[in-house]
Amino acid sequence: MKRDHPHPHQNRPDTFSSGGSSSVGGGGVGYSGGKSKMWEETEQDAGDDELLAVLGYKVRASDMAEVAQKLEHLEEAMGHAQEDGLSHLASDTVHYNPSNLSSWLESLISELNPPTFDSSSSNPLGDPFTESSTITTLDNSQRYPSFDSELKVIPGKAVYPRIQQQPPVKRMKPTSESSSSATMWGFSNESTRSTEPTRPVVLVDSQENGVRLVHTLMAGAEAVQQGNLKLAEALVKQIGFLAVSQVGAMRKVATYFAEALARRIYRLFPQNPQESAFSDLLQMHFYETCPYLKFAHFTANQAILEAFASKKKVHVIDFSMKQGMQWPALMQALARRTGGPPSFRLTGIGPPAHDNSDHLQEVGWKLAQLADAIHVEFEYRGFVANSLADLDASMLDLREGEVVAVNSVFELHPLLARPGAIEKVLSAVKDMKPEILTVVEQESNHNGPVFLDRFTESLHYYSTLFDSLEGCGGGGDGGSTMSSQDKLMSEVYLGRQICNLVACEGVDRVERHETLAQWRARLVSAGFGSVHLGSNAFNQASMLLAVYAGRDGYRVEEHDGCLMLGWHSRPLITTSAWKLS
Amino acid sequence: MVNLLQNGDVCMEELKEETPMFCINDNEDVLVEILRRLDGRSLGSAACVCKMWCGIARNDALWEHLCFRHVSPPPSGVRPVVMALGGYRRLYMVCVRPVLSRLGRMRVRVGGGESDLVSRVWTRQEVELSLSLFCVDYYERLLGGGGKLGDAPASSLIFLCKTVNV
Repeated sequence: MKRDHPHPHQNRPDTFSSGGSSSVGGGGVGYSGGKSKMWEETEQDAGDDELLAVLGYKVRASDMAEVAQKLEHLEEAMGHAQEDGLSHLASDTVHYNPSNLSSWLESLISELNPPTFDSSSSNPLGDPFTESSTITTLDNSQRYPSFDSELKVIPGKAVYPRIQQQPPVKRMKPTSESSSSATMWGFSNESTRSTEPTRPVVLVDSQENGVRLVHTLMAGAEAVQQGNLKLAEALVKQIGFLAVSQVGAMRKVATYFAEALARRIYRLFPQNPQESAFSDLLQMHFYETCPYLKFAHFTANQAILEAFASKKKVHVIDFSMKQGMQWPALMQALARRTGGPPSFRLTGIGPPAHDNSDHLQEVGWKLAQLADAIHVEFEYRGFVANSLADLDASMLDLREGEVVAVNSVFELHPLLARPGAIEKVLSAVKDMKPEILTVVEQESNHNGPVFLDRFTESLHYYSTLFDSLEGCGGGGDGGSTMSSQDKLMSEVYLGRQICNLVACEGVDRVERHETLAQWRARLVSAGFGSVHLGSNAFNQASMLLAVYAGRDGYRVEEHDGCLMLGWHSRPLITTSAWKLS
Repeated sequence: MVNLLQNGDVCMEELKEETPMFCINDNEDVLVEILRRLDGRSLGSAACVCKMWCGIARNDALWEHLCFRHVSPPPSGVRPVVMALGGYRRLYMVCVRPVLSRLGRMRVRVGGGESDLVSRVWTRQEVELSLSLFCVDYYERLLGGGGKLGDAPASSLIFLCKTVNV
């Protein structure tokens, strides 16, 4: 359906028959004899396109350019529409008078893009699709008042088919913002505004869309940071449209970030996810889908095992009990220890369950069954606490002669939301006198003071994480149904983190990830010294990753005695071990 | 033994006394010795031959030998743990074979049969990893089945069942 700007009359004289005004002959008509008649015919038809006229559509030749482009846009929009399940368009399209092709196309396009944002009287965003004027007139640049001074009408490629009050901001950044991205696109708009009308053209290049998507996300975050909520709303909507044209990881990440931004703009803050049963379930699926949690558990266990070498009574205090997935592997390693297993005590700490079930006790019971099977003397205690800061070493019944290890997987960063909490917890840990403290945290700084920096960092981080998810969970004939559900749950798990990170503030924002360097500074100043994770841990981690499909992307790196697992060149989580110094 | 008859013909007499009939099913220990040298897939096929072979091939000791015969020195303290967690045959099926095949294919890109893979020497860490994964499998079945341990591998080890495009 792509057509260049056709000038059919002049360019294809040989298709006109010498008789009849609007019939197309069988071709091969002699040119010389019919030429004078042809020109008469064209004047007579007052510029209707001959070929379409055959089909019954009267379209002016001067309109052909935009009609063609609208058709392209319609085609693409229909394609997407069917993806989104708007299949009614395929069957229930109302046909307007086909002789007025332009307005029919407009009506179709406006049906495809229904207005999603309802606002009162003066609608400066002015959803362009509800405008009633047609496009057949070519010069209507003066018809629409210019929007905020920041958004300027730009001719050339645009997402929307109409002259709009909401011009494609992706192409040109508002002048009030940094000009770096404007120079990147590098074209001026002023000069062409008056001469050329905005042409509705389709965006078909999805790679270009991908770049635009990222830039629109950044622009949206910047707008939110500056408090320009109207601009932010407009951008968030555009993110939605652009995201649809992407596939795979980029689409999902963009959707989650767009949703989080929208929540921030409209102040629809997410419920604080303390429903432990559901979030435990999500974490289980995350555990099963990709190796991050397994890496965390195995490396932490290795450090604990080495700290417990030749000790007879050991006690592990787990801040992140959840389903207790970390401990079976440790218990079997203790069971097979030369010299026999020690007596193993486990104290599990978790948030209160909302359905009154004693979830921690159930987990303890299952672990006890396992311990019984492998003949390890086992004792378990579960502690329910709203926050780790409520804990005190004296509550834990620490006994003489036992060696203590404290383990925390992704549980320290939420403490940063409340001032003083992390210090209190670290001093409580010191009171427990642990032989070793194992900490696993995300390797990224999502706790900076500036929203835009946090947004940028987390966008890169979660893009990498979602990319790595694309590799897992695919393939395999028996497990494919399971894995696609697993993958989806893992994405929801990560999506909740994104939502909290972007949309919430203050004490609600608990996903305050920090880098190893920041944690190191914190722990060292609290009186801890680093313990190097040995080569055993490194080898075991490498082997674990080798066993996973998609191993080519994962990398284990050692950094100052701590192990980082990353995807390609980007470290994503870090395991570190500490002792009292 | 060849006999010359009176009419000059040659006939062969059956040598019943010198070569007794040999039936493998009468000699279980020989059978076990043979099966011990097979790889996992062949051992599985052997279990399909007949009831007697099935009973022998399912003997966990055979699978123990299969799992760790190339580990040097043989790991200690493993047996009670493995037996408690479901036995060597399950260990092989759920953990050892997939782990070895993944690691084997990663390192040795020659197209060999499974016997090539198993004949690699295990490292201690591969043993540790397999056992840890096996324990996780047991625990997940505990969690999921509510006490009843089925035969299907648990969810976190499903990834080991997937085909690997190497």
